[in-house]
Amino acid sequence: MIVNLPSEGAHARPARATLRWLADWARIIHFGAVIAVLAFSPSSYARDNRPALARQIVQGTVPVLWWFTLLSSLISLVLIRIVVVTALSYGLTRYALEMVVRVLVLELIPLTAALFVAVRCTLPDGEELAAMRRSGALEALTRGGVDPMRREVLPRVLAGVFSAITLAAVSCVVSLLLAYAVVYGFTPWGFAGYTRTVGHVFNPALSLIFVLKTLLFSLAVSVIPMASALIDPPPSRSRTSAEVRGLIRMFALILLIEVASLVGNYS
Amino acid sequence: MASVKDAPDTPAPVRHLELKATLLLVLLAVLVFGSVLYLMYARGAFEPTQRLVLVSEDSEGVVVGMDLTFAGFPIGRVRRIELGEDGKARILVDVPRQDAHWLRQSSVFTLVRGLVGGTNIRAFSGIMTDPPLPDGAVRSVLRGDSTEEIPRLVAATRDLVNNLTTLTAENSALAASLSNVRATTEKLKGPQGAMGVLFGDGKAGQQLATTLARTNALLARFDAMAVKADAQVFGAGGVLPESRETILQLKGLLGDARASLQRLDAILLDAQAVTGNVKVATTDLGALRADVEANLRKVESLVNEVNRKWPFARDTEIKLP
Repeated sequence: MIVNLPSEGAHARPARATLRWLADWARIIHFGAVIAVLAFSPSSYARDNRPALARQIVQGTVPVLWWFTLLSSLISLVLIRIVVVTALSYGLTRYALEMVVRVLVLELIPLTAALFVAVRCTLPDGEELAAMRRSGALEALTRGGVDPMRREVLPRVLAGVFSAITLAAVSCVVSLLLAYAVVYGFTPWGFAGYTRTVGHVFNPALSLIFVLKTLLFSLAVSVIPMASALIDPPPSRSRTSAEVRGLIRMFALILLIEVASLVGNYS
Repeated sequence: MASVKDAPDTPAPVRHLELKATLLLVLLAVLVFGSVLYLMYARGAFEPTQRLVLVSEDSEGVVVGMDLTFAGFPIGRVRRIELGEDGKARILVDVPRQDAHWLRQSSVFTLVRGLVGGTNIRAFSGIMTDPPLPDGAVRSVLRGDSTEEIPRLVAATRDLVNNLTTLTAENSALAASLSNVRATTEKLKGPQGAMGVLFGDGKAGQQLATTLARTNALLARFDAMAVKADAQVFGAGGVLPESRETILQLKGLLGDARASLQRLDAILLDAQAVTGNVKVATTDLGALRADVEANLRKVESLVNEVNRKWPFARDTEIKLP
């Protein structure tokens, strides 16, 4: 009996971990549902909440927009040049532009934008929320008659979603312009062929998957860090911080979305 | 315990916050709507089109959205692919109205599959003065599939290899011929050489050798005869010097004969003159003869008259019975 006790504990530990994992994801989904309801209810955008929302949107987007646009332009330029020169050397120039659009705009830029927003915006916001939760600031807001979900959480989530979508949109447009300039040069005569190629790549199914992927990426990088900050136990009861747990969950979800989009696009 | 005021309001205030937030929202809206409009334009949503139906035995490689090209320029886009009632693939192509004038009623459409790359649908309009292709026109598409040639090529290559194998087999005709060639070359290298190849090693060869020897002897005799004939013909008392002297003599005789003939010519001239005189004399003789004949007729008629009038004249009247 004494010998069997550790094995029983060893069997019980994964089961408890699995149950806790499932419960955490259920809480995250519930949190996401609450945020969705709040986001679609007009009272969340009342006059009292607007300044907080505007501040989060501006602080979450403006500082990273220029840097990210610049970095993504440089990386896009290098990738476009590599793809075009390689395609030229193999005599496959007609596929170069299509490949550039597919690789950059459809695959790389939404993922990079989401990760950039997560690192620069939503993960620090989640840590900020966790600190407020630890310090009791959220409870103080509740006692003061202010809903912390509307005042503090929803603006951060919406700012993350907005930032991720804006960064992806701006970078996609800049990359498309760079691709045109690299392939055709600064001349308007390639516009018709370029437009036709872009139209050929963005068929309805692919466009739908692209929009859904970008939206889901932005939701993943925005909701999960906030949810982890609010639902996870305090650090004294856990070996890892809420920020790290949120990061792991966020990466797992992004990976899942990316795999699903790849299956949808190329299967 | 934290109060309501000191927790959330710690960040520094942002200048022109509302304006910046509005600008960001407007920027995102412009980007999203602009991208949607551009993609719709790129997909041909805003241009009027006409429908062209291409009928093919096989639509493999054709995908929705691929281009119909004319002279390398895309002028249409595949919208749908469906299987017709007759079991043939119907490829529905939308051609923008502004590009439709490149397609004529005599236009030919091809579906080409390359080894590398995708399938291409091409249009060829040879006679641009033909009437334009109407909306909803149905045309057969010609297939030019390079991969379809591969099985045929493989089959032909296999036949070729089989033939080569048969040719190069151990007991093949080519091997037998080669062995014969080898035997022949060995004979050529042998003591009898090509003669041995032509006539073999038996009696025929010996006879040929004997014939050759006798021919050689015959040729030697001919040679001796030629020497003698040379002496007889071209020697000091040979035929040729004597012939030369004879020819000289004949030349002298011919000169004499020429002189004789000149004299004869003069005689003939004289004779011609005499003949002319005789001819004149003969003319006079004709007139004289006519006179004589006239006189004779007169004498005859006179005698006849005398005979009639003479009493002893015979009765010349003939009485019929």
